[in-house]
Amino acid sequence: MAPPQTLVQERLCGACSNAITAQAWSADGELLAMATAGGELLLIDFRAGCEELLRGERDSSLDVVGFSADDRFLMAAGQDGELLLWELGGSGVRPIAFDPLPLGGHWLDAAAWQPQGSLLAVGAGKQVRLWDGASRTLRVESQELEGTVLALAWSRDGRRLAAACHGTVLLWSPDDPGQPPQRCATASAGLALGWSGQGNLLACGQLDGSLMLWPDGGAGRGWQFRGFPGKARALSWCDQPGRLAPLLAVASADIAVIWSQQDPGAKGWKPEPLVLHQGRVHAVAFAPGSRLLATASSDGTVALWDGRGRLQQLLEGDGQAITSLSWRPDGRHLVAGGEQGQWWLWPVARPPSVRSRPPRSGGFAP
Amino acid sequence: MASPRDRLPVTVLTGYLGSGKTTLLNRILTHEHGMKVAVIVNEFGDVGIDNQLVIEADEEIFEMNNGCICCTVRGDLIRIIGNLMKRRDRFDHLVIETTGLADPAPVIQTFFVDEDLRDQLKLDAVVTLVDLKHVEQHWDSVEVQEQLAFADVLLLNKIDLVDVEACLAIQQRTRAINPLARVIPTCQADAAMDQILGVEAFSLERALAIDPEFLTSDHDHEHDGAIGAVAFIEDRPMSYKKLGQWIDGLVTERGPDLFRMKGIIQFAGETNRYVLQSVHMLVDSAMDRPWRDGETPSTQFVIIGRDLDEAALRAGFEACVA
Repeated sequence: MAPPQTLVQERLCGACSNAITAQAWSADGELLAMATAGGELLLIDFRAGCEELLRGERDSSLDVVGFSADDRFLMAAGQDGELLLWELGGSGVRPIAFDPLPLGGHWLDAAAWQPQGSLLAVGAGKQVRLWDGASRTLRVESQELEGTVLALAWSRDGRRLAAACHGTVLLWSPDDPGQPPQRCATASAGLALGWSGQGNLLACGQLDGSLMLWPDGGAGRGWQFRGFPGKARALSWCDQPGRLAPLLAVASADIAVIWSQQDPGAKGWKPEPLVLHQGRVHAVAFAPGSRLLATASSDGTVALWDGRGRLQQLLEGDGQAITSLSWRPDGRHLVAGGEQGQWWLWPVARPPSVRSRPPRSGGFAP
Repeated sequence: MASPRDRLPVTVLTGYLGSGKTTLLNRILTHEHGMKVAVIVNEFGDVGIDNQLVIEADEEIFEMNNGCICCTVRGDLIRIIGNLMKRRDRFDHLVIETTGLADPAPVIQTFFVDEDLRDQLKLDAVVTLVDLKHVEQHWDSVEVQEQLAFADVLLLNKIDLVDVEACLAIQQRTRAINPLARVIPTCQADAAMDQILGVEAFSLERALAIDPEFLTSDHDHEHDGAIGAVAFIEDRPMSYKKLGQWIDGLVTERGPDLFRMKGIIQFAGETNRYVLQSVHMLVDSAMDRPWRDGETPSTQFVIIGRDLDEAALRAGFEACVA
């Protein structure tokens, strides 16, 4: 768990030379990494109070970035088709770069570290490759899909891996190779995947403007929800338990929709559209440890909503479209990146209404 | 959404194997037209790979399941162009090369259907290369016919390898399939850049340019399943309601066989002309500028497709006169 100290008292901003494509925090909340469409990789070390450009500007983009669960490794990948890795020594220690790993010349834009584990899953064309932080090697075996891997997500316990391509979401357990992969048929191409903590639900936002939900870790029959105004391009599960399932936020066209399950079964899911943004919503993210939802839009703003879809605060950049979002693990700092390369870091106070309820300890008040 | 001026123009390059696509691509990449052109190819092959703006994509066809049976798009292009557009400031034009055996429709439809691509890019033209020396051998292949049918610009390439009669004969046969395309005979794909890039063939406002010869000559379809074109000219104003219903019915019933339609329409009681184009079942239309002084209002309508029954289509069209 991240230390609760405050990094900034007011908005902090900075700039890269190209559109920011991805941002990620280390698990301890001390390091922030940002990748750009101009191939830059910026690492900000808050405890040491310094920043380093791990990779300079070039003619090919980086599109995905992430820290391993134990903060020992940093990963980035993009247009070059190479997996870039650094070994981290913690705050104040200069990261050591591994030799780039070529993965077959595909544009790499889907990759995810295993929660509570050492594996890194990377979509390389139609294959999912695994890099193992324990052995520091790329596994020879790979999982083949029928189409290009468009999205990847690990279950919260790190046991199951889901990969989406056109027509299929494939589920398997990389640490249990004896178990055959499970194939979930879809009518479209999955663009965003995410597993809930509570209930082990798998959500998939699709190109055709629909959302698929599979209960019970993908074992149950999938539900399809239609009617989004455009592609279901991004999604985020709330880490706070709900009565039956946690809240799910989905971005589509100019809106985000908060889904909540009121009754068991597919018909029990109720959508709450969040109508405010004047341009495409590119990213949605629930704050860790609360029901506060952030939505980032082309209109240059980030909106903060409570779990019932009531606007709490509007954060403004400098007008350029905001395309990426990442919460610090403490849930009290939010970073956003813009399409002209600007980034903003806001301290976020949790409003009382969204503070997580204290656990009930018994039937009687003390 | 970007205004049409700010949207990135896209040229789709098609042509059967060996027709000269790579030669043309290298010309586009090395020509000093003052534009930064990004190119998406199927395989690097002989295209200048040291050029950082050449990107490889594996053709991946997605069915859209949007109620339109023939609506397929190129999923790989949605993903790669989506990523590429974050570097929008680095180039002024995008060229997409298709494989020699590709149906151009999914590429074109991608730019009509995908919400992100539609907002940020605009189709400029479909440029098809024809190998004058060898095209006869593949003439009946579906791929060649489709590539001819979808073209806005037809480069009759390798003119140095055939005599004038052979060139004219092929030109006439291509005309029967596609009377709308601009035909340019070339040697080593040496067409002027302004005839290939910045053509604005998909701009609705651009006037129809039907080869006048096409309207006066008879066209016999070569065989069942053949691809051809029909064109209608009507001086009497049309009924908005009737024509709309006719076109709706036509694309619903015959969508997969209708490759492209283009029309400039004079509606009864309207002072402005109406413009329309379609690719399979995707119809794009709008009220356009007023008829100009000295311009005789009339309707021109061209259909390019497979197994077109000219008499039945003409009867259907004429029944739409107001």
